[in-house]
Amino acid sequence: MPIEIPKDKWAGSIKAITIGATSAEGGTRAKAVTVGGGTTMPYLQFEAPTPNKPVIAIEIKSRKPEDWSPLLAEVWGEAMADSAQWAKKAEEAGADLIVLALTVEDNPEDAVKAVKSVLGATGLPLIVWGPGQAEKDNELLVPISEATKGERLVLGICEDKNYRTIVATAMANGHLVQARAPMDVNLSKQLNILISDMGMPKDRILMDPTTGALGYGMEYGYSVMERLRLAALQGDAMTQFPMIVTPGFEAWKTKEAKVGEGVPQAWGDWKARAINWETLTAIALIESGADVVVLRHPESVKRIKEAIEELITA
Amino acid sequence: MYIIGENIHIISEKVKEALKNKDREFFMDLAVKQVEAGAKAIDINLGPRKKDWAEVFPWIVETVEAVVDVPLSIDTTNVDGMEAALQKITKSQPILNSTSAEPERLEKIPLLAKKYNAKVIALTMRSEGIPVEADARVTIAVEQLIPRMMEIDLPMENLIIDPLVLTVSGCQQYCPHLIETVRTLQYAWDPAPSISVGLSNVSNAVPNENRPLVNRVYLAMLMGVGLQMMIANPFDEEQNQVIQWIETKDVSTPLAKVYNKIAERTENSEEPQMEDFDMSDPQQAEIWKTTQILLNKVIYADSYLMN
Repeated sequence: MPIEIPKDKWAGSIKAITIGATSAEGGTRAKAVTVGGGTTMPYLQFEAPTPNKPVIAIEIKSRKPEDWSPLLAEVWGEAMADSAQWAKKAEEAGADLIVLALTVEDNPEDAVKAVKSVLGATGLPLIVWGPGQAEKDNELLVPISEATKGERLVLGICEDKNYRTIVATAMANGHLVQARAPMDVNLSKQLNILISDMGMPKDRILMDPTTGALGYGMEYGYSVMERLRLAALQGDAMTQFPMIVTPGFEAWKTKEAKVGEGVPQAWGDWKARAINWETLTAIALIESGADVVVLRHPESVKRIKEAIEELITA
Repeated sequence: MYIIGENIHIISEKVKEALKNKDREFFMDLAVKQVEAGAKAIDINLGPRKKDWAEVFPWIVETVEAVVDVPLSIDTTNVDGMEAALQKITKSQPILNSTSAEPERLEKIPLLAKKYNAKVIALTMRSEGIPVEADARVTIAVEQLIPRMMEIDLPMENLIIDPLVLTVSGCQQYCPHLIETVRTLQYAWDPAPSISVGLSNVSNAVPNENRPLVNRVYLAMLMGVGLQMMIANPFDEEQNQVIQWIETKDVSTPLAKVYNKIAERTENSEEPQMEDFDMSDPQQAEIWKTTQILLNKVIYADSYLMN
């Protein structure tokens, strides 16, 4: 007996958003990256094809991070001390995008220089994060935004306590913003409303629902993302933005990934475990609708790329 | 609508201050004004008063009963304080607020109600928490709350079930379930117990300027499924207006018509439709958006009216 597979038809869809601008579009990127555009729950290819596959950003820092796992220091080596070198290696490792995370030690001049050197070293579109302190973020991101006008960078991270300055400078200089809320659908939507209300065009917002690592709240983040996606498909314009998530940051914070000594022997090989942690976190989030995943280890990038291909062609 | 006036509540800074100063005039005035505004009973929530309950509970009862004759709802978790208040009451049949299906409370509070011939509010909540689904809340009423009252021979007319309103800001998925719980509870037993809700809980953590609107729209839905009693603010004139429109089926103005339509749709197990509203009228457009939030159709955000 033939079985008819039931198909959902949704009223809404995820917005397709382009990060980075080529010279034809007023920037200097070798190519731009488009994410989002989905019209179904993720990867239900029998309902509708996935218009843009999820992309991988590799996170690098403006200064050599002292608190990252030795496993990351081992694989990136000397490049960690030079963001241009690091960006180049990240591109070689398969990144679709670069995330450059600034630090509190940076002054505006250093920060602009770091951004420019990364833009010079690679043709990939760029996401720039402030160090995560409101005043410092604004102090660094405003000059960067002005110095890179037209590049369609993503500037972040906007949170409810500090979004106005970042949004205003992004609007004025043709960039995008990353809007983060603490794993809560109501607060995610609220921040999107506030940012849109400032006049930010709707094709220039990425939402960041906040990620929990495997074993540390990942399933909670997963259901928040699922709910946002469902609301978007039902037609709620304020949840229809592509999602960016940070499994690299979250996974490498966990004891399981970070520490190689003083843990039970049954936990097995440290490196294998750490990469598994990052990979499993990332793939789960992709399956719940993430459009941009920010990773740290090149081996995770390789595995996630393969997994994405399988999801797309399945 | 039987309104139990909620305004003598320790969460209010003024009440806190007045209690500290044992300001009899303040409490008398607040009680009288609530009754004048239409409250049929007065809720008294001064917290558990762990240290001074023996003094405070009789004092407040004596103070309020000096000026009003309506029933007092003794709203506390302190069982000793509750009994101290009951011993002092001389006027109308009091209400105990509240018990739940948590074993210790369900053991003690109904016995107090029995001993002092009080009514008792019983929450559909167990030690494990509040279930989301309407069915599960009705089950708590039918399998735990009602049987306990029968076990001690408390007349059904003295039982008031409170199926627990939760906030649309954060517990949005509970809001439509509560409506169904109120609908079903009326048929859960014969004779049916009374049902009461704490209406303003629905707008907890909602920005102040939107709270009355959220309360009113939810009230219209709940009246549609037969709600006849609630703990609420009797001074909210727009709320009282909505009650009057729905109780008298008054459709003489566009707003009266809209609120009646919401009640009617809910009564018929239908959802309000956009065509029920004149979307060119900003007030009606806001009411429509609020129905969508309360029915969990659109995700709540503090600025949902801007969406």
